[in-house]
Amino acid sequence: MNGLILFPLLLALEFGDTDPELAARLKRREPQAMADLYDRYGRIAYSVILRIVRDGAVAEDLTQETFLRIWNRCQAFDSERGALGPWLLAIARNRAIDYIRSSDGRMARNAYELVEMENPALFANLESQIVNSDQARRIREALTKLNPSQRNVIELAYFEGLSQTEMAAKMGQPLGTIKTWVRAALKNLREQLGAGAPA
Amino acid sequence: MKCHELAEEYDLYALGVLEEPERSELQAHLARNCEICAPEVRRAAMRVSSFASLAPVVDPPPRLRGRLMASIGVEPRFRWNWMQTWAAVAACVLLGVFWFNHTRRERVQAIAFRDAMEQLRQSETESARMKEVLALLNSPETIVRVSTEGATQPPQGKVFVNPTHGVLLLAANLPPAPAGKIYEMWVIPAGGKPVPAGLFQTESNGSAVHLYRGAVDVASTGAVAVTLEASEGAAQPTSPPIIVAPIKKG
Repeated sequence: MNGLILFPLLLALEFGDTDPELAARLKRREPQAMADLYDRYGRIAYSVILRIVRDGAVAEDLTQETFLRIWNRCQAFDSERGALGPWLLAIARNRAIDYIRSSDGRMARNAYELVEMENPALFANLESQIVNSDQARRIREALTKLNPSQRNVIELAYFEGLSQTEMAAKMGQPLGTIKTWVRAALKNLREQLGAGAPA
Repeated sequence: MKCHELAEEYDLYALGVLEEPERSELQAHLARNCEICAPEVRRAAMRVSSFASLAPVVDPPPRLRGRLMASIGVEPRFRWNWMQTWAAVAACVLLGVFWFNHTRRERVQAIAFRDAMEQLRQSETESARMKEVLALLNSPETIVRVSTEGATQPPQGKVFVNPTHGVLLLAANLPPAPAGKIYEMWVIPAGGKPVPAGLFQTESNGSAVHLYRGAVDVASTGAVAVTLEASEGAAQPTSPPIIVAPIKKG
């Protein structure tokens, strides 16, 4: 994997320590905080959205919508211990997947989960080690170690919002095989990140 | 379902691919803020957010930042930075060099054009003058007289007088007039006062061709003479004549 590709995310995670201050400024409705938020996460958010929708003009609109959603919902965010970047990326991904689902007529099958994943509470009360640079390096290594099939199903799920059944149809593989690949990929990532076992 | 039975499902849920009935089971745990499942789903959400790094990095269009800020009521403000400063300086320098070269080229062209026009004008003047000279010389009414004054290599003058065209003087051995001085020709009626007939300068070899245009009463003209006068000329001669050509014989 190209190190440059990971750089924005690493940067975002490295700057995680300053997110609380930025979140507090957003809550105070300081316009400059919005500009700083965009300068910090605009490129990676736009890149994720563009990867999903594959249309520059649409990606612009959805990126704008993503940041406005942060602006309008930041009061619910835990500015002391929250992680702005992952929350923003979750919103960016969900806006983009919603768009391709509506544009290609797919049913909003698991729209509920996606909306749930935008909940700012999911990105609060996080242990500080979650967003440190060691974690980011482990993420890079873990993604590199996935085999092509595992990486493929992760990309289909993350960037196209496909269910496992839809992936099986798209890849021409039995559903059981897809489920095995997905679980194996996620297990590998958990183990690489040292968070495999539930608390 | 117990929490430990859902342990494998947190990442699937965060990725959005968890299917029923596990999905509803996990949502129920989250709804009651399960102390085990809720933090694990948060961790899973963080892991899933890292998949963003699989996307190729593309810079958003610069206008997007302005659009976003405008959407929260902030007017776009010009942001000056060093790169723009250097770009502006470079542009000014290039513009200056271009303008300098352009104006210099235009100036050179203007001077060349003016010189060419001046040469053409002089050429036309000279040509017209030569036509007049030839017309005077070719006229059967023109009479020719030669000056008589002078010693060794004295200034000499040959005068062609025509009643219609005027008087043509061809001078030789006439040194260029000193600074502040000029030669003046006179048509002198017999028994009358000299009449000014134009100012002229000689060439470096002492020759001169001077044409006085206008009707001349040859019968009453006693002589044609040349004196050295102040540069603005004189109404009457102020110095002895250098060349005198008698017209009226006898």
